[in-house]
Amino acid sequence: MEFSPQQITNGIRKLTKEPRRILVIDDDASVGAAIQALMGHHRYQTVLASRSSDGIRALRQSHFDVVMLDIFMPGLNGLDVLDHVRRDSSIPVIVMSGFRLRSPAQPMDYLAMAAERGATLCMRKPFTAAELIKAVEWTFSLQRPSEGLPA
Amino acid sequence: MTEIENTAPVPLAAGFDEELPDDFEIGRHSSTRSRLASEVGAAIAHELNGPVTALLLYVGDIQQRCDRLADESLKQVVDSAVLEAERVCALIHKIGDLFEAPIPEDTAISVARDAITWWARTGHPDSKVAMGTGDHAINESSRSGAKPLTPREREVLRLVVQGYSNKEGAALMGISYRTFECHRAEVMHKLGAKNTAELVRLALLETTVPCPSPEQPSA
Repeated sequence: MEFSPQQITNGIRKLTKEPRRILVIDDDASVGAAIQALMGHHRYQTVLASRSSDGIRALRQSHFDVVMLDIFMPGLNGLDVLDHVRRDSSIPVIVMSGFRLRSPAQPMDYLAMAAERGATLCMRKPFTAAELIKAVEWTFSLQRPSEGLPA
Repeated sequence: MTEIENTAPVPLAAGFDEELPDDFEIGRHSSTRSRLASEVGAAIAHELNGPVTALLLYVGDIQQRCDRLADESLKQVVDSAVLEAERVCALIHKIGDLFEAPIPEDTAISVARDAITWWARTGHPDSKVAMGTGDHAINESSRSGAKPLTPREREVLRLVVQGYSNKEGAALMGISYRTFECHRAEVMHKLGAKNTAELVRLALLETTVPCPSPEQPSA
């Protein structure tokens, strides 16, 4: 019987009781709090950063398995944060943003720009709990098999 | 940490904070009015994103935890709440589409859009309506003339994206190294990728790879 790398990685995680760590960088505290509550019940540990600078600092200081990043934030916006992160890390980054991606006055496609800058996945707000869990678990399944396979 | 000059969180479009002309009259300046109205509408709809996202996540959380309860009537109430919240979500997407300018047919952008629409659509019975046009199967790329991937090619793509080498992938699928390479070349051709790195990037963005994929590599 064969297992997928994801199943094996999950198995090891369960065995060692080591929760996955998610960093949410979003200036809208209500979104962060909701993600934290939901993910907490799935045994993920969620750290919230309501300012982009805090998020970058948190990433430098400790290990995370995935970053959820909002695009429109005061200060450094999500794209700038993504540039920062991609300088020295290949951590999965889920970029999330509401619409208003393009309008006649603002003809920029922010999610496409995020994709060009190395976002792993783009999600359009609002999204459902099931979509969020699916997206996060999908990024976990992308880990290289060498990290999950026993020899 | 130096913070860059505070750029507005939601870049308000021109016209939003412009002074209205002195002779502004509703009706006579219908183009200005409709432009302003659409910008205001888009800004309000944007503001709805955060609270609605939070609401959806909370009801989803409640629903998942209710599954463990025996109280059927409570479950029904919660299921209805989730359904209604998802309808609100679909409506917001629809409003967003109303205000958005058409997307230029550029590869990079359409790839990203496919990923977005796909995620927006997954698990949403109503989202077909919400997404309006551009409703094509995940497998059919928006590039004209691109053929869908065969199941074998999808499997090869999945293994490549997961980081398996040609040799490991071939062994997992129980096919020869050469056949694996052929499939991979065909996938790259079909998706228009110049090299493996690009293939992986496209695959991640386009999410043609089933996710998450608990099924075994060789069925």
